[in-house]
Amino acid sequence: MTTDKEKEALPSSANNNFNIIEMNNVGLRYDQGPEILSDIKLALKKGSFHFLTGKSGAGKTSLLSLMYLAQKPSRGAVSVFGNNVNFTHRDNLALLRRKIGVVFQDFRLLDHLSAFDNVALPLRVCGMNEREVRKRVTELLSWVELDRHMQDTTATLSGGEKQRIAIARAVINRPDLLLADEPTGNVDNDIAPKLMKLFVELNKLGTTVVIATHSEKLINDFAYPRLHLQDRGLHIYYPSDISALGGIHA
Amino acid sequence: MPKQPYIARKQELPLSGDATSLFLQIMISIAVFIFALTLSGVLSINSMLYNWNQSILGSLTVQIMPVNNANKEKARAETLTYQQNAVDFLQKVDGVTKVTPLSDEQLKKLIEPWLGDGVNIENLPMPRIIDVKLAPDAELNFPKLARDLSQASPLASLDNHKLWLSKLIKFADGLKLMALTILVLVLAITSGAIFYTTRMSLGLHRFTIEILHTMGAKDTYVAQQYARRMAFLGLTGGLVGLFFAVPSVFFIASLAQGIEGGIISEANLSFNDWLLIASLPLFAMTIAMLTAYYTVKRTLQKML
Ligand SMILES: Nc1ncnc2c1ncn2[C@@H]1O[C@H](COP(=O)(O)OP(=O)(O)OP(=O)(O)O)[C@@H](O)[C@H]1O
Ligand SMILES: [Mg+2]
Repeated sequence: MTTDKEKEALPSSANNNFNIIEMNNVGLRYDQGPEILSDIKLALKKGSFHFLTGKSGAGKTSLLSLMYLAQKPSRGAVSVFGNNVNFTHRDNLALLRRKIGVVFQDFRLLDHLSAFDNVALPLRVCGMNEREVRKRVTELLSWVELDRHMQDTTATLSGGEKQRIAIARAVINRPDLLLADEPTGNVDNDIAPKLMKLFVELNKLGTTVVIATHSEKLINDFAYPRLHLQDRGLHIYYPSDISALGGIHA
Repeated sequence: MPKQPYIARKQELPLSGDATSLFLQIMISIAVFIFALTLSGVLSINSMLYNWNQSILGSLTVQIMPVNNANKEKARAETLTYQQNAVDFLQKVDGVTKVTPLSDEQLKKLIEPWLGDGVNIENLPMPRIIDVKLAPDAELNFPKLARDLSQASPLASLDNHKLWLSKLIKFADGLKLMALTILVLVLAITSGAIFYTTRMSLGLHRFTIEILHTMGAKDTYVAQQYARRMAFLGLTGGLVGLFFAVPSVFFIASLAQGIEGGIISEANLSFNDWLLIASLPLFAMTIAMLTAYYTVKRTLQKML
């Protein structure tokens, strides 16, 4: 529990000299179970682009959830935009989350809402006026080729369509940090590159990107460094190392 | 660019679909119904108490029964002695400012309407009357005063009506306390129900709330949606309760009128009292809204 005294001022966005994500000695366990992440040390520079890999169950989703502030570490320190999560007031955590876009592995769309309302969610949550919301959402939905389904509830959409909605929702607020968990798993081969191109474009505009994926093809097509989870620990490989290793999933 | 069709905004938290909505609405309407009846009872008692206190306050009358004696002169003298004893006693009582025994002239005036002109009261066994003025803030224990008075002057008695009223006031005060307890209980039960159903609903919508959190929603954002919903349930439930309460109050009032002219008819609800009763739905709305708001805030604190 944090008190007002511990409340930290949010760093201004003009300050570029902090790591977007910083983790030190981070351990994570669920309830009384064993640690599934141990002694994680990590620093993501502003504007960087990383893949996150590891076998199923290695803890990719768990590591991302620490980054998008869905849980606190069992031990160690996690800092997001320069704010130590353990000492940041609840309301300020909410403000930090507004700068983070998340694509969930299981989409997590609100199935009682239309595609439009789902994508509009991050904008409405921070109180943007409806005209601006309408303009931005319509634009983005036509870009992901879903304008036809704008008013359908997401329950009626296909897996790939849901995924595009989930991605649109993650990027609608032009986040400073984009975290995507298997974002191209369900989409057709021809739309996957288009979505990757979106992430790359956002990255060029300054967004820090982390993409968890199983796809060797994706990793090989883009020469970005790779965070690899193995035996509860995190290892970082740069494109030159990976070819030397002959592939990590070998 | 073609004009955008109007896109209806759905509730992010589909609270209107909660199965507990109807339950809460009925519960609140019953609560407001009971509250309105009890409150009108309290207000009536208050107005009665006010009238009764007015008639008790300020002054009281002491009567000295005439001594029976064949010798009229002697009887009169004895009666006057008793009167003097009573006066002496009364002058020493706290809160009494002035004690005036009525003169023969005044007594005569008092009974004239009954006995007609030209009666010589000296020939009648007339009770004597003492007019006692009280300080405005005097808090007299009438039953005790009555006892002490009859000890000081055995033939003196306190005006019966006042003694009886003071007992009635005590009883009414007790009733009022009981009614106030009912009001507090109704309030507690209702906000308790709102508290638990809100908690239940938060569990039910946990998934949605977690997503709203991930999108950067503050607890206030969620709390406001609950507050708005509960305000609606509180207001509509309250209006239904009021709708049934008003005719019931009139019905009970008409029954009360039938009891006995003097006492209950003093129990009139004033315009302000009615205004208070009519504002109960707003009151219910506020309570429901605040309870929901703070329940959400408190409960979400425990989620990251
Ligand atoms: N909420 C939870 N409660 C308990 N255990 C959990 C929870 N979430 C994940 N785990 C456990 O933590 C471990 C890591 O899970 P996680 O979902 O992070 O793996 P992952 O790398 O994302 O796997 P995948 O590639 O299959 O998505 C697993 O053993 C899983 O059982
Ligand atoms: Mg996963």
